[in-house]
Amino acid sequence: MHEPVWEFLIVNYLFLGGLSAGLYFVSGLAAWFQEDGQSAFPRLARWGALLAPWPVSLGSVLLIFDLGKPLRFWKLFFHFRWQSPMSIGSWLLVLFTLVSLVNLWAWLEQGERQGLLARIPEAIRSRIPARIRGYLDRDASAWRRTLAMAGFPLAVGVGIYTGVLLGAVQARPFWNTNLVAQMFLFSALSSGAATILLVRLLDKEAMDLKEVRFLYTLDIVLISLEFFIVLPYLIHGELSVLAVREALALILGGPYTLVFWGLFLGAGLLVPLAIEIYEFKPLLTGKGTFHLNPRLAMTAASLVILGGYTLRYVFVFAGQASGFR
Amino acid sequence: MDRRVFLQVAGASGVAISGLSCSWLFKKPEAKAIFPAGIPTTCELCPNKCSVVAMVEGGRIRKLNPNPENPKSRDMLCARGNAAIQQVYDPDRLKQPLIRAGARGEGKWRPVSWEEAWDYTAKKLNEVKEKHGPEGTLWASTEGFQEVFFKNLGSAFGSPNIIRHPSLCLASMNLAYSMTFGTVPSFDLLNADYVIMAGANRFESIITPDTMDLIGGLMERKAKLIYLDPRFTVTASKADEWYPIAPGTDLAFILAMIHVIIREERYDRAFVDGFTLGFEQLVEHVKPYTPEWAEQETGIRAVDIIRIARNFAAAAPRAVFYAGRRSSWYQNDFQMRRAQAILNAIVGNWDRQGGMVPNQKVPKGEFLFMPWDEPKAPRVDEIEKNFPLAAKGDGVYLPLRENVLSGKPYPVKAWMIYKQDPLHAVPDQGKTLKMIEQMDFVAVIDIAMSDTAWYADVVFPESHYLERTDPIEVMPGIWPAAVLRQQVVKPLHDTKPCLEIVQGLAKRLGLSDYFDYTIDQWVEAEAKELPVPNGLEHMKKHGVVAFSEPKYGATRKADHRFVTKSGKIEIFSERLQEAGQDPLPKYSPPAKVPSGKFRLVLGRKATITHAALTQLPWLHEHNPENSLWLHPESADRLGIQTGDLLEVASSVGRVNIKALVTQEIRPDCVFMLHGFGKKSPWLRAVHNVGAADAVLLETAWDKVSGNAAMHETFVKVAKV
Amino acid sequence: MAKKMKRYALVLDSKKCIDCKACVVACKAENEVPVGVYRNRINVEKSGEYPKLRTSFDPEQCHHCDNPSCVRVCPTGASWQREDGIVLVKYDDCVGCKYCIIACPYDARFHHPEKHTVDKCTFCVQRVDRGELPACVETCPSKVRVFGDLNDSKSPIHLLLATRRHRVLKPQTGNGPQLYYLL
Repeated sequence: MHEPVWEFLIVNYLFLGGLSAGLYFVSGLAAWFQEDGQSAFPRLARWGALLAPWPVSLGSVLLIFDLGKPLRFWKLFFHFRWQSPMSIGSWLLVLFTLVSLVNLWAWLEQGERQGLLARIPEAIRSRIPARIRGYLDRDASAWRRTLAMAGFPLAVGVGIYTGVLLGAVQARPFWNTNLVAQMFLFSALSSGAATILLVRLLDKEAMDLKEVRFLYTLDIVLISLEFFIVLPYLIHGELSVLAVREALALILGGPYTLVFWGLFLGAGLLVPLAIEIYEFKPLLTGKGTFHLNPRLAMTAASLVILGGYTLRYVFVFAGQASGFR
Repeated sequence: MDRRVFLQVAGASGVAISGLSCSWLFKKPEAKAIFPAGIPTTCELCPNKCSVVAMVEGGRIRKLNPNPENPKSRDMLCARGNAAIQQVYDPDRLKQPLIRAGARGEGKWRPVSWEEAWDYTAKKLNEVKEKHGPEGTLWASTEGFQEVFFKNLGSAFGSPNIIRHPSLCLASMNLAYSMTFGTVPSFDLLNADYVIMAGANRFESIITPDTMDLIGGLMERKAKLIYLDPRFTVTASKADEWYPIAPGTDLAFILAMIHVIIREERYDRAFVDGFTLGFEQLVEHVKPYTPEWAEQETGIRAVDIIRIARNFAAAAPRAVFYAGRRSSWYQNDFQMRRAQAILNAIVGNWDRQGGMVPNQKVPKGEFLFMPWDEPKAPRVDEIEKNFPLAAKGDGVYLPLRENVLSGKPYPVKAWMIYKQDPLHAVPDQGKTLKMIEQMDFVAVIDIAMSDTAWYADVVFPESHYLERTDPIEVMPGIWPAAVLRQQVVKPLHDTKPCLEIVQGLAKRLGLSDYFDYTIDQWVEAEAKELPVPNGLEHMKKHGVVAFSEPKYGATRKADHRFVTKSGKIEIFSERLQEAGQDPLPKYSPPAKVPSGKFRLVLGRKATITHAALTQLPWLHEHNPENSLWLHPESADRLGIQTGDLLEVASSVGRVNIKALVTQEIRPDCVFMLHGFGKKSPWLRAVHNVGAADAVLLETAWDKVSGNAAMHETFVKVAKV
Repeated sequence: MAKKMKRYALVLDSKKCIDCKACVVACKAENEVPVGVYRNRINVEKSGEYPKLRTSFDPEQCHHCDNPSCVRVCPTGASWQREDGIVLVKYDDCVGCKYCIIACPYDARFHHPEKHTVDKCTFCVQRVDRGELPACVETCPSKVRVFGDLNDSKSPIHLLLATRRHRVLKPQTGNGPQLYYLL
């Protein structure tokens, strides 16, 4: 195969896009669960909402820079070709980003809203019609659950499409499996959860155990699901046609083996899983009290994020190295 | 009405298929007349002189396309031919006359007017003439359509010392076949069924009609190719059988083949009796040269030699032992090629379809110019004394250089060079540099700053072939052609065609009368006698006049007199005997490779072939650098891997070059490509890139023809 | 009278290929392809043990497939296919996302270092439309290449494919490549 044409800009974008999807999703999930008519995990939901638009925006900028003709990026929105995952993806990205920005706005406190509006230069602010300014100033907290519901499909779409982008390419046997879409999705959601855990840990308001349990449970489920995808991908691939086996050789002895098994599977999936199950020991055995070990939590979260990045890295590079004979 | 070329396609689809392929050799079925949209002219990048049609757009040469009207170029254009455009637009090419401002080789140049360059050159030439006579000037050139003017200037000046390239290339082959048949034939590979090639790497080193005919023959007609070469070349990969023959032992192989064919009476008795002389002596002569003996020498099994000899004779007359082209290999090359000629003779493939065919020519006119007196002095290379049988007009390069270096028989102090890069074309670059040092004056006419130009005193920039009109040339062959080169674009820079450069010098040397014509007058005179009405008009429109019908058997008449001493095909050569040489080829083994060393063998690659093109981007990207080929056994022994930097040393020079470990070469040999390791910074892509084989090659020559022997150098190889 | 649609294709007699690079250089000249990138190439395969060595040469370029993945995945439609089968790139519409480069099973496309769009073999469409042959076909010394209209029963390409065994590369992708290699 020839030299890779997609390199780190694309790896970064795939990771960041998935991260935003995951942040939105976890935020939405956190907003969905109610307790006494209120959001059960408001701080998690808010963090997710505040963060969600930014990784994908940065990723999109990187994406534009990766184009041979960056100034022509707008052409992607003057065409829609349903057979092209990239076309669908471009539209999904834009819609998702817009919805996530609206969602972010919905989670702002009034003071924050007014502060931001005040930042707009007087010249522009006076031009905005009064009605619009009224809407912007309104408290949209009632809309939060609805927005979460509306945004879920977009978030899942963004999470999945980054996988479909690769999975739809017949020419690259390393990618050409429907499992890639799920693999990327669960990894994205997992990274989202881990990021929210990380920022909550660094937040001055201490975490309460409910939040920890929620995130840990979510993470354990997602990592397990991830395993349920990766293992069949490897096993079935090894039992598949020659081209697929040769592609998998890249991570079964080939140049990407160490990174895949060590960084992704080991550090990115197994170790966080082990940490989180270990933290849950009191709840499982009934002995001792469940408490938060901030250091372990941060380690687990960081490793999940690293694992998510590594997954994209291995797939982008190894995939381009695979081919038919 | 000129005759076009179409092969007869007779019969059913099976024949039509092979007919399809063969007819494509000459003209593609879909080929349309692409003139007048393009300007037909002739390529100058190698001796094949293919016809091209130049497409010009907005004053710029856009593309060179094959001209389907020339059967000799078989409606194709090779990589180099296509890349010629880059020579024209090369930003580093010579753009105006230059006179050296610093020391030789220092690279300080003063751009000057033509007048100044001519004045200075004429002055220096006259100075040398004063002191040493006109024979004190040496005129070196390589074949080309304007070469005749350069050579004529040297002769008119009074110098006998015209030296050309054949003694660096094919002189031994030419001489061997001339001495046997009275002429050098072409090989009808289009129709041959059994071909033996020794070293002539026809599918890789250069693209000629032989290349094309043979590949078609092998793949379409199922002809057989037996190939002998110390390297597994592209030709080896297409051959039916490849033998990594021990270098320098081809003669043993051929003698053993003759032995078998005679012993088993598989020769063409009627032909031998009717047309040849000396067969009885041959019978005696080859008695000791058995296949078993040859096995010891060549490393090829006796059973294979016998089988090949039998198959060869059985396929005759459509069987040939191919003569090759560059025959600058070993010190016994002439005799080896003589043995080839004899082998071909006794199976009777002479002047038959599928065999060796004497060349036809296309008649053309001659421009009559004022003749000058023959130079009085004898040649400095003493060719008449030491190489009496060799072609006098071409000279013997290496012996000439030896004499010039020694100052005997007389000093040579001025060196005029046209279209040649002796620092790369001639073995032992160190000696060539010394020769330059000894000169009072060196001038080079070229289109790019070759290494030799870099060391010259005056550099004259010639116009590129696409920028000028040249004399009509006749390309002899089985399908001969007369070709025209006409100007496609005006010269981009302040350059002139060789004729005008010569005229400028002639004026100042008092020789104007001999060059008192224009190129158009010259071409007109030649075109007048072409076998087509309105010859000049035809040439300008079509670029070529060619004959479609090959002639077989014209010389196989009882009363035909061959151009030999006896009038017959000379197996036994009295002339050789009288000259003190072996009248029949006698074998002596090549020098043994000293332990710890390797024999350096050379070869070419079609994208670059000669040394002048390696810097063109479209060709350079396929050959960024040359490497030294080493067999894995040898590499392991020396702890070398591909990519390692090596020091390679012979008795006359040393170079640094990267290693390429490959199974495609005998363990006792190493190989490198030609045209790298350039000193001239104006050859940007190959300046100090790779290594120059000329630095390593030792001075050795074939004693009969004086042809350089370039595979006789042993080198030591070590990792740096 | 309805004229049958053309379908251009290329037949390659690889056995005759000697890797002389004439086709690569002719393409460069004709299509102004920058140094370092290629619209066509010769695949070299070496095998065997000294002295039983084997080398094969297979020219390759865009296969102008019947079912081209590159056209399918292009988000702007810059990658498109003519009715006669020639797959082209609308340089003005290409954003250079390079998805098609990755989607091509034959590595036929490349990123053009000067135009910054994607580029590839176009069967010298400018020549074909003038009734000429692609530069690589015209220039080949060994006459490896035969170009023509599959739907024209009188064309040499038609006769060759009807009478000689041939194969295509990577048929398992289902792209329907139109470069036929004679066996």
